[in-house]
Amino acid sequence: MTANETPGTSTDLAVVGWAQAAISRRTDQTETQMLMSAITDALTPLGLTRADVDFTCLGSCDYITGQAFSFVANLDAIGAWPPKRDSHVEMDGAWALYEAWLRLHEGDIEIAVVTGSGRSSTGDPSLIYPMEMDPYVLAPLGADLVTFAALQARAVISAGLADERAMAEVAVRSRGTGTVEELLAGEYVREPLRRHDLPPITDGAVAMVLATGDRARQLVERPAYITGFDHRTECHNPAFRRLDDSPSTRIAAREAGLDDRGLNGRGVEVAELQASFTHEELLLRHVLGLGDDVAVNPSGGALRANPIMATGLARIGYAADHVFGGGTRALAHATSGPCLQQNLICVLEGRS
Amino acid sequence: MIPCAVVGVGQTHHKSRRRDVSFGGLVREAVFRALDDARMTMADIDAVVLGKAPDLFEGVMKPELYLSDALGAVGKPMFRVHTAGSVGGTTGLVAASHVRAGKHRTVLAVAFEKQSEGNAQFALGSGRGASLGAGGSFAPFVRAYIQRSGAPEHIGWTVAVKDRLNALKNPYAHLKIEDISIEKVRNSPMMWDPIRYLESCPSSDGACAVVITDADGAQAATAAGRPPAWILGMSSRSEAGSFPGRDPVRPRAGLQCAEDVYQEAGITNPREQIDMAELYVPFSWHEPIWLEAHHLADEGEGWKMIDDGQTEIGGSFPVNCSGGVLSTNPIGASGLLRFAEAANQVRGAAGDHQVDGAQVALAMAYGAQSQYFSMWIVANRLQPFG
Amino acid sequence: MTRFVESTITFPYKRSLGPVTGAFMTALAEKRILGIRNGAAVLVPPMEWDPASGAELAADLVEVGPAGTVESWTWVPVPTEQHPLEKPFAFAFIRLDGASCPLLHAVDAGSPAAVFEGLRVAPRWRGRRVGHITDIQCFVPGETSEVDGPDVESTGQPVELMDYTASVTYSTPVLAMADRAVAATREQRLTGLRCPACERVYFGGDRPYCPVDAVELGPDAEIDLPSTGTLTNFIVVEPVRYPGQTATEPFARVFVLLDDSDVVLTYQPVIDLPVDEIRVGIRVTAGWAPIDAPVDNVSGIGRPLGSLLGWTPSGEPDVNDPDLVNRIY
Repeated sequence: MTANETPGTSTDLAVVGWAQAAISRRTDQTETQMLMSAITDALTPLGLTRADVDFTCLGSCDYITGQAFSFVANLDAIGAWPPKRDSHVEMDGAWALYEAWLRLHEGDIEIAVVTGSGRSSTGDPSLIYPMEMDPYVLAPLGADLVTFAALQARAVISAGLADERAMAEVAVRSRGTGTVEELLAGEYVREPLRRHDLPPITDGAVAMVLATGDRARQLVERPAYITGFDHRTECHNPAFRRLDDSPSTRIAAREAGLDDRGLNGRGVEVAELQASFTHEELLLRHVLGLGDDVAVNPSGGALRANPIMATGLARIGYAADHVFGGGTRALAHATSGPCLQQNLICVLEGRS
Repeated sequence: MIPCAVVGVGQTHHKSRRRDVSFGGLVREAVFRALDDARMTMADIDAVVLGKAPDLFEGVMKPELYLSDALGAVGKPMFRVHTAGSVGGTTGLVAASHVRAGKHRTVLAVAFEKQSEGNAQFALGSGRGASLGAGGSFAPFVRAYIQRSGAPEHIGWTVAVKDRLNALKNPYAHLKIEDISIEKVRNSPMMWDPIRYLESCPSSDGACAVVITDADGAQAATAAGRPPAWILGMSSRSEAGSFPGRDPVRPRAGLQCAEDVYQEAGITNPREQIDMAELYVPFSWHEPIWLEAHHLADEGEGWKMIDDGQTEIGGSFPVNCSGGVLSTNPIGASGLLRFAEAANQVRGAAGDHQVDGAQVALAMAYGAQSQYFSMWIVANRLQPFG
Repeated sequence: MTRFVESTITFPYKRSLGPVTGAFMTALAEKRILGIRNGAAVLVPPMEWDPASGAELAADLVEVGPAGTVESWTWVPVPTEQHPLEKPFAFAFIRLDGASCPLLHAVDAGSPAAVFEGLRVAPRWRGRRVGHITDIQCFVPGETSEVDGPDVESTGQPVELMDYTASVTYSTPVLAMADRAVAATREQRLTGLRCPACERVYFGGDRPYCPVDAVELGPDAEIDLPSTGTLTNFIVVEPVRYPGQTATEPFARVFVLLDDSDVVLTYQPVIDLPVDEIRVGIRVTAGWAPIDAPVDNVSGIGRPLGSLLGWTPSGEPDVNDPDLVNRIY
């Protein structure tokens, strides 16, 4: 079913603030410490304390942390005393926001805090990620994320949606360093991907505050209203999929109120895409129909900072920043799984 | 808020090792039973929510990715919940929230654990030696309860026997101990003093699935002669695990979670207005502990309900008629099994372990150091209290 | 200078395969590759369900390959320990003859220049096969299958289980606060952190925050704690066997309420206290490792902290307080 109401007349829910902590190649802070700072920094400018928060939902991953039940310690960061209405997703914080968005739509509570957090510096992604692949035929081959990304990049290039130069341009623009020629002179990590096409390893946490419309308007001058929100998945094994397309992104975008031409005449000004690999940005631009008039990843995107389990939520945060700063409409995208298996679209709007 | 109801319930046959099935085969066994029960197919499902306990149990990271197509979720929202032992319950709540929010019409909640692929003790110790296991974590709580309530030691044995007798009436239950008796429990080895082997849950492979839909769907099911279980109240509450003075025997999160669901359901006297409960009781002493910590008995009085036989099928307040976690424990699914069994009771679909005339039921799951609680109240009518 | 603790999570999982993947693995042991019919298509590896709809597939298995065509590939210049080959190789999508979709596997092609779309490849089988995806060691250019070493015929027994060993090493930074708490134990001192807001005290330094007030506790919150106390609660664990288990005999963990404080140390080891003599109310004192002895720096529930090895009876009379047992935290 179509899941979203007409923009502007929906049951109002809005992002009113967010914060990041310890976004860096490696932090000495524990995940709980990162979350404690991020949550405090998200609430304080709003004049809120943890006692004002009606619902919390955390997003993190045991295999990134290296410990079973790793999220339990993170309860210490939310101030769960007295006890909180609370949940946890073994997903990026963008999906924690989705759960909070559903929960607030139930209508009985007003303010939620959601987080995403992880310290991917502690492990080796090339050894961890095969464990999310088909446990019978792919994980035992050590089939890693970068290998699948390379196979998708080749498909995207074959379809004429990218070439190695365009991918290098994405890297230069996102990171703000280097030249295309310098980057193209580098060795392949997995042909056709070079080091610059890959995301960095980043530790960090993101916290975001979501409020119902009336509360949002009390808290900030210009809330970032969520006017479209949807996520979809595809079948798991990339060998069974067309890798030069992202049908789940397309469905999520449509359900979030965008049409196949991309913008539904609604003029998205900024798109924050969780494109961890350069070719993913080019594919997603194509699938979402984002033209040159849309600023893609002004934050630098996942290629500049990739705090796993928070990268997607950070995209929504940066999109909200655009609205906070006076912008009208921004789109955020988050993803999970090999070759963009699962995709989420969140549309944020300001009102005059 | 959109009213919603359970219209389909399914579970696997649970065993210590389901070596006949893959991960996909295991979850699909439960899913198809739930869909058949709801007279639906995968095409009728708008979103899927998967719950399970730590990924270290099976060594598959974020298995909802691998299982997306097995669950018929392609082109749909696929969501993954993990809230420690309470996760199965939370899976049901998050699925219901999809409907209550008015964003999705019919949602499939699925929870599973395939414990035999790995070893829970190993995972609970994060791969190190001298793991205390869940029993080791909880034994001090049990000792404190026994001492403060003055309960006699046979209460633990009594619950252990009751739940295993109930399991004999449940075709899906894992443990089938035909000759279960007080003597047998009393003589079983002391595993985590004061918890004996037969006062402890097994380690199971299994899955559970529940179909939740909106009022239109629920009314259609009613009209077709398949009564739904209306979800009247739901809540999940968590509290910090370790600070001076915290009481894990009567955790405030458990009390508040119960207060939340009673208030939402319009229940003012839970002991009288609720007809039965499926409580998360992995060690037999948790039955009196939770009766007291969920306002179903006064403090120090919960064990007397057990001593009087009131929590047996046929008693005044039956608890865990399915055999409970003590008989079946695929950890990640154990919570959803409680939620599903409670739904079946008010649907009149609980088979041989049906409580006569059950109209309102409570389901509960908890996790970590008795920190995470999830509950729902289901009933055979949307407004059972007038 | 940050100190890091390495820990490896490794476990030999046993996967049950179910009927379809089981048949696929059984066939691999016999040097055959099976697909499954899905309408007009043939899926390889065979699945129990249609990946698009989730519909159950009839077990209509068909043999494919063994040769096939590379449809896409990438070169792996530096293999990981989990990869099928130790030397550089290509990961490739290989469409086996008769299949409708590609299979991911390794191609031993020598160099990236030798791999291209349309390259014909065939399996190199392991000599000893067990019913596992790595029974195909890799694919090699050409039309002809080969066997690596002497070919040991399979037993023909149906394969129901497969082994999977996941091994990941984590290198986790240790907080300076935690190291200071450990260092204090070398001087036979216990330390904790006092929350300035609620005055609750938290033992050690590895969780430097107050969960009640949700504030971080810094060095100015550090206080000394007594190293004597009273046993409030305990467990005796009958160890079960699992890979990596180090305990063989029943062992105890106790809870200790430190004197003149509100601090309970949870799940502590005991010294010179037989498990059958443990009871609530015993007066205990810290047991220390000899000065300069190496200490275990891995913290965690039920583990000692630095030179604090555990708790031992002080010989004082028991404390008789019915509320003691409730002091778990």
